[in-house]
Amino acid sequence: MRIALRELRRRPGRFVPATAVLALLATLLVFLGGLLDGLFLGSTGAIRAQRADVIVYSADSLDQFLRSRIDPALRAEVERVPGVGETGGLGVTLVGARVPGRDEPADAAVIGYELAPSGVPDTPAPGQAWADERLRADGVEEGDTLRLGAAGTPVRVLGFVDDTGYLLQGTLWVAPATWRTVQDANRPDAAVADGVFQALAVRGEGDPADLARSIDAGTAGATSALTRDEAIYSLPGTRQQNSTFTGIIAATVMVAALVLALFFVLLTLERTALYGTLKALGASSLQLFAGVLLQAVVVSAIALTVGISLALALGGIVPAGVPLQIEPTRIIATVVLMMLSAAVGSAVSLRRVIRIDPASAIGRTT
Amino acid sequence: MFLAFAEIRRARLRFALLAGAVGLLVYLVLFVQAITGNLVTEFIGALKNQSAQVLVLGADARQNLEGSRVADDTVAAVARVDGVDEAGPLGEGTFTVRAGGSAREAVLFGHILDGPGSPTTLTEGRLPARDGEAVAADGHDGDGFAIGDRVVVLPDGDPITIVGVASEANYSVSPALFVSYDTYVAARRTVNPDARAVEPSAVAVSVVPGAAPADVAARIGRTVDGVEALTRQEAVERSPGVSAVRQSFSVVTLLFYIVIPLILGLFFVILTVQKTSALTLLRAIGADRAQLVRGLLLQVAVVLVAGVVFALGLLAATGAALSAGGFAVGVSLGVGTLATTLGIVVGLSLLASLVSVRRMLRIDPVRAIGGAGTA
Repeated sequence: MRIALRELRRRPGRFVPATAVLALLATLLVFLGGLLDGLFLGSTGAIRAQRADVIVYSADSLDQFLRSRIDPALRAEVERVPGVGETGGLGVTLVGARVPGRDEPADAAVIGYELAPSGVPDTPAPGQAWADERLRADGVEEGDTLRLGAAGTPVRVLGFVDDTGYLLQGTLWVAPATWRTVQDANRPDAAVADGVFQALAVRGEGDPADLARSIDAGTAGATSALTRDEAIYSLPGTRQQNSTFTGIIAATVMVAALVLALFFVLLTLERTALYGTLKALGASSLQLFAGVLLQAVVVSAIALTVGISLALALGGIVPAGVPLQIEPTRIIATVVLMMLSAAVGSAVSLRRVIRIDPASAIGRTT
Repeated sequence: MFLAFAEIRRARLRFALLAGAVGLLVYLVLFVQAITGNLVTEFIGALKNQSAQVLVLGADARQNLEGSRVADDTVAAVARVDGVDEAGPLGEGTFTVRAGGSAREAVLFGHILDGPGSPTTLTEGRLPARDGEAVAADGHDGDGFAIGDRVVVLPDGDPITIVGVASEANYSVSPALFVSYDTYVAARRTVNPDARAVEPSAVAVSVVPGAAPADVAARIGRTVDGVEALTRQEAVERSPGVSAVRQSFSVVTLLFYIVIPLILGLFFVILTVQKTSALTLLRAIGADRAQLVRGLLLQVAVVLVAGVVFALGLLAATGAALSAGGFAVGVSLGVGTLATTLGIVVGLSLLASLVSVRRMLRIDPVRAIGGAGTA
């Protein structure tokens, strides 16, 4: 053990190349994870914030807000289903919002709501809105009056809420009446009558999956009710994004393990004579391997520190169009994965260490 | 030469690990590129492969066709601008349709038949000649979008008959249906009984022969109020997500490109250092530098070939798994992209192995005598 640490201290040069490669891989992992989180969290915030067990769409919508339509009659049917408690209408319109003092309009998702999602205050008066923090980057400030869409519907910003983005656009949480005004003025072809919403947030008793099933049964298939998690993953592209990025991340972790394995196999090979001698002097295979493992862990730890710092620095300079969001949980996950791959990678050397014959120390040189 | 191969045979684990790592990395680069290219095509193929050279969107649309509406009289105003040959309304919207017996997504592109906005990549059948006919994106034959199939916009639209198919004509990862503008308007009214007016999403413009689309677009932007005129290329590039996807993935690809030569270079440097005494001996008994360098480059080549074969195998397996899993976005790659990527990987790897070559060239055969060079 002490020999292993001393080698690291005395001959750091021999570990630099492997550390550099691993650091780059750590940067890649954090960066990839940050992209995934940025895309996922920025797209799904408005649904994740819903304090609802079930989200109900109309059956023809294929679970997309913009094509869903729940009229008052259908809503009444849903409310009659046993187990259904409170329900709240939801409606979304994606529009450009003109910000005072800015030339470029901001991308906004105007969401009319009845049941306050977590972190969002109760429904404001018509003509007012709670804005997502995301909109600050576009110059939106408290008290500003934004003009929405071609019709320029005015909405005054009361304050800000966090983590409620919808499809990477900043959400403006408004009263249903305000949403209808915006929708009708800017999408006359998708105009909605009073009382009509796109979806319903439903609170109820029991298992959400069961509740969803009984709602669909209760409306004779006119609705498509999803649990909140299902609704998150039915947002366009979310599922594909997740599986694609998870695949890339997994392959990158495998590369890290392979690199470590390769490096320590080479190192072990170099030390065959030394290990033979140490074994002849009484060191066990386990002790020797513990040294290898220790070195792998130290090398990985240093690589992680450098790599994560690099990723954070890189995060500061990426163009604004890249939806990068580096979360503490992602950093922790990266550390755990890299350490595991270090352990697995160095284990490849175990067999070699065991096979070294102490007798080789006498007479033969290698 | 013989030695180079013998060494690989004797140290299979080492070379296999290296080839595995290189292969995985090459696979990742190819995968990311395939996904980027195909994702972009899936999102904007229909926009790219339609005949309007200029698209006039609402000024508040943020350059996104899906969120754009223009007033009906804008079409006439655009038509009066110098350099405009034809201008017609273009309606775009995602609808749930019944096709092949189930509910599916389709994106309707409503245009004036024979006018700007018609598909340009027809591979089979013909263009729509009347209301209720459509050209569909190819690749969806089994989903009820083959020639002769009928699709219905839910809940109760008039049937639309597919009369032709066009390649690379998806939009927002759903098949596009090119229909007459009136068919599009009818679809809007079917979906929403509360609809007041159905306005065009954009104005599709063809320019007079010899005029540059960019100039005409600029002129339209100056003379018509409340619009933003984009050339077809601009409309494609500025579609939501396209630039974000491109930028994100190019950073990722760049990092992978850096890692590959680093790993390869590192491996061969260590190997060369470990072999220094043997190499010195070889030089002393008459092997010339070129021989040793050739051996090294041969090993690099073997690793690269093994890695690339491994990578292509993985890519093919991924493609099969994805299509079996029902993913719309595949991993097919153009030959050009494939050749470029592999060229870059090979070039960078050879560059990285130069470090080992330099070490080899510096070996002094005299050191074989006296043992000073065996360290």
